[in-house]
Order: sequence, then structure tokens, then C-alpha cells
Amino acid sequence: MEFSPGVRAVDNASFDLQAGRFLTVLGPSGSGKTTLLHMIAGFLKPSGGEIAINGRPVDAVAPHRRSVGMVFQKLALFPHMTAAENVAFPLKMRRWDPRGIPARVAEFLDLVRLGGYRDRRIHELSGGQQQRVAIARALVFEPELLLLDEPLAALDRKLREEMQLEFRRIQKELHVTTINVTHDQREALVVSDEIIVMEGGVIQQYAPPLAIYRQPANAFVAGFVGVSTFLDGVASPAGMRVGGTDCAGRQALPLAEGTPVRGALRAEQISLGPAGDMLAGCDTVLPGRIADMIFEGERLLYIIDSDALPGAEIRIYHHDPTGFDLFEAGAAIRFGWQAQDLKIFKTGRKEPTGGVLQ
Amino acid sequence: MTSPSQKLVIWALVWFAILILTLPIVIVVAASVTSGNMIAFPPEGFSLKWYRKILEARELRQAFWRSLQVSAICVLVSVPVGTLAGIALTRYRLRFAAALQVYLLLPFTVPLIASGIGMMLVFGEWRILGQVWPVGIACAAINLPFIIWSVSSSAAALDRDLELAAQNCGAGPVATFLHVTLPAVMPGVITGGLLMFVLAMTEFLVSLLLTDARTVTLPVQVYNNIRSIITPDLAAVSTVFIIIAFAAVWLLDRLVGLDIFLKSK
Repeated sequence: MEFSPGVRAVDNASFDLQAGRFLTVLGPSGSGKTTLLHMIAGFLKPSGGEIAINGRPVDAVAPHRRSVGMVFQKLALFPHMTAAENVAFPLKMRRWDPRGIPARVAEFLDLVRLGGYRDRRIHELSGGQQQRVAIARALVFEPELLLLDEPLAALDRKLREEMQLEFRRIQKELHVTTINVTHDQREALVVSDEIIVMEGGVIQQYAPPLAIYRQPANAFVAGFVGVSTFLDGVASPAGMRVGGTDCAGRQALPLAEGTPVRGALRAEQISLGPAGDMLAGCDTVLPGRIADMIFEGERLLYIIDSDALPGAEIRIYHHDPTGFDLFEAGAAIRFGWQAQDLKIFKTGRKEPTGGVLQ
Repeated sequence: MTSPSQKLVIWALVWFAILILTLPIVIVVAASVTSGNMIAFPPEGFSLKWYRKILEARELRQAFWRSLQVSAICVLVSVPVGTLAGIALTRYRLRFAAALQVYLLLPFTVPLIASGIGMMLVFGEWRILGQVWPVGIACAAINLPFIIWSVSSSAAALDRDLELAAQNCGAGPVATFLHVTLPAVMPGVITGGLLMFVLAMTEFLVSLLLTDARTVTLPVQVYNNIRSIITPDLAAVSTVFIIIAFAAVWLLDRLVGLDIFLKSK
């Protein structure tokens, strides 16, 4: 896939995707994700640039002649047809041999585990079952490319997580090249081989999930994926300085001393201990006070105030269930981190890395 | 929440409306089964002799048959035109959509007597007066806004993504229209079509101007009869009209019970 439209909704978003991979375009609402998919499906014409599928440019190809399957945000299943008729529709429209259609439809309904629901009308199916019909309809005609336009956004959390694994299973089973768009960072991390983080129509980072999480390219990516604490200050030789406090950290690119910078710390990478604890292994250790504690089930989120870092709201995950009520709100504590975990970015201009897979 | 006094007022209004609307129907139906020779309410005794009489009256039967033809022609003309216009006005951004909307409402806002005289002049010029089919065309023209509204409301409820999904499935523009757009607006088409049928069946003023002795339709025939002498057979004819209207509503309910299948969730 090559892609370089020059419109404002999606601005200079070039990227290549290898066949058979599962790519997620991750970004907040209005970041140009759906526009991107509609251009690939052919519903919108890019004002510049080129889209190629398996090396063939498709810009001059009408949507109904493209070999692209799409699962729509609101599914867009045909309400006057049964589940099986919905799945058979692309085969009929694409002139498959009519004798082979029933068997093919049955095969795909089995693939999405809806074997027993072929004659149900769409409104007689649950939300999850409708999702499965939509997937089967998008895949049944062997498209070269599958597009997923946030189809899981409307589901409740449990069903959404189940369907994420289903998407992954089906994609691995059929090896179909897939582009998924979502604003759900968890979904992106769970299902994808590769992630593009998009904002304001611009690609911020293109990397595998682990790299996106571990080596965010800029402060936007660090803030959008995972829970981070941000520190604003200036670059210093050891990392950055916030007010009068030196913070050990790693600069993404070497910066001149005094450059305004923004540091990001992941909530699970900050250590926490009682007042007086030296927190062995941490490169920076600071005193603080528990402002609030939020119980999230599998973990506890502490919100910390620190006079050493004025203005920063420090968020720390605590995953040890036996130590859950270790600290009361208001308790004096110490917290710290290793230099490699404080990622320091130049402020102001985001530094998108463009469409090259890192 | 409504208070008891509000409830009382609302129900009083409801019953008043029901009474006002049904009273003429009740009186006409009752008058039609009188065994007397005068139209009267309450009826004198019970008999179906006036129904037998209208069945035997040749001119009424012929007028009824002509009205059926007029209605059929009106439906045949107005359904395709109204469906396409209704879809186009809702689904596509037309350049003169506002002007077009006003134009399509013209037949409805211009007094019927005016459009009737206009059509009489034009049809006379074209030398097609004295036939039945131009009356059907005229009924289609004056009532077109009804079917356009009916189809538009269905088309407005149609999810735009359904048409994109059809294209994505490999359906070209025509196939998309036939397999997705048309089924989705079908409730509006059926509603509009039946409405057009009933309206053409009962259309009076324009028909009066466009028909002559050889081509009178049923409402005009009834009017002609009233002018001479009012007998209970006219009440029987009116009852037949009422039954046709009820049949149309019943049919609508049965068919647009399809509604559930045609609309998602």
C-alpha cells in the first residue's frame, strides 16, 4: 500500500503496508482516520497522491470494482436480508458461480461462528452476532484488503475485548491484509502487527505495538498510548530540569541545554515507597504526598503531589494486591524512576516520524 | 405526568374528535341499510335492497369501473415518478432542490378548481378530453406531493452507509438502487401508492371538469344523482367508498407490517 493524499483531513499520510499484516491507525476523533479508509475504499477521491493495492494504482477504479472489504462503523448490514443473504450479497454482485455460493456462505458463517443463525434477520441478532455477519460479508469474496472502520466502538467493554480477539483470530486464519482504525489504544495494542498513530491528519508514528509503547516518537504518542505523567521544564545534561529539580531522563534527540522540553513517565514505571525509603535502583528520588488513590480492580492508581515538581500531577500504578492499602491519602511518600524511563521531547512542534515503519 | 384534571381534558378532546370523525360515517352506513325509500337517520328497518340496487344500476357500475381505471393509471404514473423524486430530493444534493421542492408543491397549493380548469384547457387543446386515462394523469399530477412526502420520509431514515456498503460489496449504481435503496424506501412507496389510489378513487373537483357523460367517474356520478333526487342508494355508494378506504388502510397495515423487516432494529 502506498498512500499520499494531500488534503487537510489527511495530510501527507504516506505509508506502505506489507501484504498479510494487520495495521491499526490509532488516533483521537477527528484525526482523519475514517477519511483515510473512505479514500482507500474509493468513496472519496484524494486531492493528491496515490493509492496502490498489491502494486496496482486504484485511483481510477470505481468503489464497486475494488477488491476491498469493509466493516462499517455502524456495520451497515442490509436490514431486509437474512444473515446468509447479507453474506451472499457480495458474491452475487461479483458474479460468483451461483452453484458455489451457498457452500461458500455456509463456510464463512462457520468461520465467524454463526453457523446456526443463517436465516435470522439482522434485527434478530445481538450486537456481537451482527459484528460477525459484517465481518463475514466483508471477507467472503476474498478481498485483497480488509478495512475496519471502528466497528467495535459501540460495543460494551467485555464484548469489545472478545471481538478484538475474534478479529485477530480470523485475520490470522485468512492472512488478509487489514487496516483497522480506532481511537481505542488497548484495541490497537491487542490486535495489530503494526500501529500508525495519527493526529490532525498527520502520521505521528508508525511502529509495531511494543515500539509504540516503549519508544513513543513524541509527547503526543506518549500521552495517547498508555497513562503517562508529563513534566514541563528545560533540557539539562542529565535529562531535564523542572523548577529547581534535576530529573534524570533520556532525550529522544540530543538537545541544547535550556531548550524547553516535555518529559513523559509511564504510570507503571514510577517506583513508590514510604518516606525515608531510598528506592534502590532509581536515578531520581523525590519526596511527595498521596493526593488521591483510585481503585481500578486489578491495580491501584495513586495520584501524587510533589513540591519538587510544581504543577505536575504524578500518576503511579500499583499492581501488588497485597500492598493495596499501603498508603492512605495524605501520607508522605517517596517516589522515583530510572533515567531510561523518563522520555524527553522538545516541546512545541510535534516531531512526526512520517510513514516509515520503525 | 398528567394530573387527573389534565387527563379529563385530554380524554374529553379525544372522544370529541372520535365522535366528530365517525358520526358521518355511522350515519351514512346506517342510512344505507334502511328499508324505506327515503334517506333517513335513524333508518326505517333493515334491508340490503339499496346495495342490490347499486349493483344493478348500470351507470353506477360503469362509473365505478372507470374510477378503478383512473386510480390504476394514477398509481402507475405516480409511483415511479414520486419514488424517484422523493429519493432524489432527500438523498442527493440537487442544485435547485429548494426551487424544485416549491415546484413539486405547486399542484398542492394551487386551488384544485384552478388546476382543474387549467388541465381542462390543456387537455382540450390536445384533444384528449372525453377519455378516461387523462383523468388518471390529472389525479397523479395534483396528488404527487403526497407520495413524494411519503417516500422522502422513508428515504430520510435510510442510512447512507448502506449504499456505500452495497458498493463495497461490488454493486454498481443500478444494483445498489435496486437491492438496497429501493427496499429501504419500500414502506414509503407502499404507503404513498395506496394513498394515491384512494385519493384518485375519491377525487371529485378536477374529475368533474375533465369528464363528460361518457367518462363520469364514481364521485361525479354520485354528485349528478344528488342533484336530481337523494335516495338511500347514494348512502350505499358512500359506504362502498368507506369500505375501499378501510381496505386500503388494512392493506397498508398488513404490507407495511413489512416495515419491521425493512428497517433495522
